[in-house]
Parts: sequence; structure tokens; C-alpha cells
Amino acid sequence: MPSALKADGITVSFGGVVAVNDVSLDVEQGKILGLIGPNGAGKTTLFNALTGFVTPQAGRIYLHGNEITRLPPYMRTRVGIGRTFQTERPFEELTLLENVLVAAFLKEPKRKKAEQLAMDVLEKVGLADRYDQPALDLNLARRRRLELAKALAVQPSVLFLDEMMAGLNPPALKEMIEFVRRLTDQNLTIVMVEHIMEAIIELSDHVIVMANGSVITEGLPRDVIEDPRVITAYLGED
Amino acid sequence: MKKHYIIFAGLVMVGILYPQMFPGYLSVAITLLLYAGWATAWDILGGWAGQVSLGHASFVGLGAYFVAVGTAHHEIAPWWSILMALVAAAMLAYLWGRLTFKLKGPYFTLSTIAIAEIFRLIAINEGWLTGGATGVFIMTLPEPFGLDLFSRQVNYYLALAFAAITVLVVMLISCSKFGYQLRAVREDEDSAMASGINPTTVKLKAFMLSGALTALGGGIYAIFLSFIEPHIIFYLLLSVQIALTAIIGGRGTIWGPCVGALLIVGSGEIFRTTFAEANMLIYGLLIMVVVIFMPRGIVGEPARYLIRRVYAKRAQG
Repeated sequence: MPSALKADGITVSFGGVVAVNDVSLDVEQGKILGLIGPNGAGKTTLFNALTGFVTPQAGRIYLHGNEITRLPPYMRTRVGIGRTFQTERPFEELTLLENVLVAAFLKEPKRKKAEQLAMDVLEKVGLADRYDQPALDLNLARRRRLELAKALAVQPSVLFLDEMMAGLNPPALKEMIEFVRRLTDQNLTIVMVEHIMEAIIELSDHVIVMANGSVITEGLPRDVIEDPRVITAYLGED
Repeated sequence: MKKHYIIFAGLVMVGILYPQMFPGYLSVAITLLLYAGWATAWDILGGWAGQVSLGHASFVGLGAYFVAVGTAHHEIAPWWSILMALVAAAMLAYLWGRLTFKLKGPYFTLSTIAIAEIFRLIAINEGWLTGGATGVFIMTLPEPFGLDLFSRQVNYYLALAFAAITVLVVMLISCSKFGYQLRAVREDEDSAMASGINPTTVKLKAFMLSGALTALGGGIYAIFLSFIEPHIIFYLLLSVQIALTAIIGGRGTIWGPCVGALLIVGSGEIFRTTFAEANMLIYGLLIMVVVIFMPRGIVGEPARYLIRRVYAKRAQG
């Protein structure tokens, strides 16, 4: 399988603090990469560097072999990157359909077709029956699904999910895991930052563990979580 | 959306018949229509794109000065000078936006006051260009198709056309791709970028359209007044009134700015004759009541309430 997303030596620092230190990764098309690590490990910063919301000081990023290191976030969306935000960011004054419509317009400039696409995506995430509700009034699980719908409506080839599972109750979590798994059937590549181990183990094809801005280990999910270095990073030494 | 077009057609009909019904009240109606148009134009940037400008008097002034100086000093017909003003206003808005859109929220608003003040000072001090502090008189105007551009009746129909054009533009935008891009940028710029939208481009387009339409009204205003003074036409108060008209009526709604104009121009007129002294007091109270109890404006608040109630009912059963 060809590489969908590749990053070489990404380094991001804020003032004197190095948040991400020389991180490289490579995800094959249709695979899921899990990104884990304790709080403050630099996962979200790496995530933002890959999606363009933070500018790395060093390193290069490639999408399907084309360099995107210098593209601003909206250009990365246009070339095939979709993302969700850790704290969901719906357009609160708009209805669910309008929220997704904003994203759907990217690939379908005509109103009728864009609306159709938005409705299809809402159907997929199970929010179609609430299409005319203002986004402001949604509960957490539905806000997550709306966030996912917005990311899917730009029809990305690589999807970035930032802690989609956090705070969901067990049935909602199961549903979300099932949903994400089905996305890869359509050849979508996924990079996910996640704290919920259940989701990481069930979904990831490959896991990268970060601590203090650096990759401490990577590999298959089952192997990684038993690695003593990972346990130390999470629980500390004694 | 169909509903809005029916309201629009109805209002335009009433507008066309108005001079026959109330020939004695044309000046108030002209002021009302100009404010309705300006506030609607302002709202493209201030309401739909969420960038509150307190510098729109600059665009009124630009349009007014192009027309007045054009006829008084260079013998350019007003329709040509208005066209030039539209282009100049769009260019000005582009440069202005490039310079200030890096600033967010109140900082953007403050910068618009500062830039507008620069134009006021230029208009006052650069007499060779603008006629200086004494202002410009429009003595003669051409008579297209035998129409006397100084007549109140003609002024009225010009103002009506201006208001109708701005409202029509906003109606078209509101359900287009551009309309949704504007709303997305207003709500959350990062989230808009994640949907592939370049917030700066969208805001620039909104500013250029808003500025050009405001200048169109400015040109008509100059013909209506036939005498313009920099102290009045470039003054902060005019910018504030335009913004307040839209804010009180309801930002980011199709009819809010028009309702705001009706209320502000209308109440100003009524209270000036009945409570001459208390005029400003009542004006201030009105603004406070709306801001405190209806932060989304007179049109915005009930519209939102209705949407939520309809939804809540359906969710229950």
C-alpha cells in the first residue's frame, strides 16, 4: 500500500519549550495510526503541526507524496486532510445541516448537491433526523458526531481525529469505535490521538507512543502497551 | 426563503406607491431608506461576517465626495462618478482589510475608528482635492431623460432603489455558498479553516461588497443633500448610527437592518417633534432596552426563539 501521510523530523517549540522533538511517522493508505502518551506529551501539538494549525520549526510533511509542510490549514483541507477538534467546535448558531453544509460546499459548490452531500453525511453519523436543530442545543455524544460529520463532509483522504472517544459512555463509545472502523473500509486513512486504550487497541494498525515531545516506542497496539517504557511513561518510575 | 422574496416584493410595491400617498413626508422616507440600505450593507461585514466596523462613514463620504466633487469641480455626471466611487470603495476596503483583519474582535473595531478618522482629516485639510472644511455645493446636475435630480421625488426613488438593491444582494448571499462561508468565519475561524475556508479572503470579499454598497448610498446622499461637509459626512457619529441601526434591528438577519432603520429614523422623527428636549434621552433608552433584553436584535431574538421552540416541540413528540 502506498504511503498516505508521511512526516520527517517534525520539531515544534514554543519559546524555549520543545513540545515536539524530531518526530517521524508514515501511515499507509487505509490504515489507522494511533497516537498515545501521557498528558503534555506533545500529541496534540504534533497533530496541529500535521494539520497546519501550528508551524513546525523543522521537518517535512507529505500527503500522498506531495509536500504540504508550508500549506496553511485551509489549503491542507482542500488537498485532502480532514480534522476534528478536541473540544468540539460546531458553528453554534447554525443548524446541524448548515454546519455540515459549510464543509460540503468545499467539493460541491452548487447548493442542491452540497445539501444532498451534507444530508448523506448526517445520515451516516446518525443525526439526519435532527438536521434542522441548532447545533447549540446538542449533547456531548451528538456534538462529537456532528464534529465527525463536518470532517467527513470535506471528503478527506486522511482523517485526523482528536480524542473523539473521551467522555463518551460505554454504549456511545462502542458505537463510535464501530463507526471509525467502518470508515477505513472506504480506503480512508486515519490518524487518531486517543486516551481511551480500548479504542486504540481495537482500531489501530500501528501505535506511536509519545512522552515529553519524543517518540519512546512504536509498533502493534498489543506489543506497545506491554512495553515497560510505556508503563513507566504513564505511571512513573518507583 | 420564498417568504422573504414575497415580503421584499410587497415592500417594494409599498415603496413605489408611497410618494403618491404621503407626498409631504418624502425627506423622512429618504433618510429611512438610506439608513436601511447602509445598515444592510454594513451588516454584510458586521453581521454576516461578524467584523464590527465603526468606520463605515468613510464609505458614505467616499461616495458622496466622488459625486459632489465630480459635478462641482470636474463636471463629471453623477452616474459615472458613482461607478468610480464603487470601484474606489472596493479597492479601499481591500487595502483596509489587508491592513486590519489580523486584528480580532474589539481591536478590529478600534482600528476602523482610527482609519475613518484619517479620512475625515484628509477631507478637512486637503482643500485642493475635497473643497476643505467649508464643504462642497452641488449647484447643477445633468437631467437624464428630463429628470430633475434635485427633486425630492427623484431622490426618493433613488434611495428606494439603493435600499432594494442592498436587501436583494443580502437575500441572494444568505442562501449561497458565500453566505455560509461568512457565517462559518463569524462563528469560528479555526473550524472554518478545517472546512477548507480561507477566513481572510472571505472577510475581504465581505468588506469590499459592504464598502462598495455603502458608497453607492453615499453618492445618492450627496445628491439628496446637495451640500456636503466633511465634519458631518466623515464623522464617527454617522458610523455609529449605521452600526447601531443594524445591531438594534438584528445582526446577520435579512430584515433586521431595515427594521432598525424604521425604528431609529422613525422614533427620532416622532420624538424630535413631541419631546424636543428628551429626544436623545429616549434614543439612548431605546438602545439600552434592546441591548439588554434583545441582544440579537429586534428581528434576531424572536427568530431564534421560534426556531428553538419549534424544534423543542418536535423533540417531545
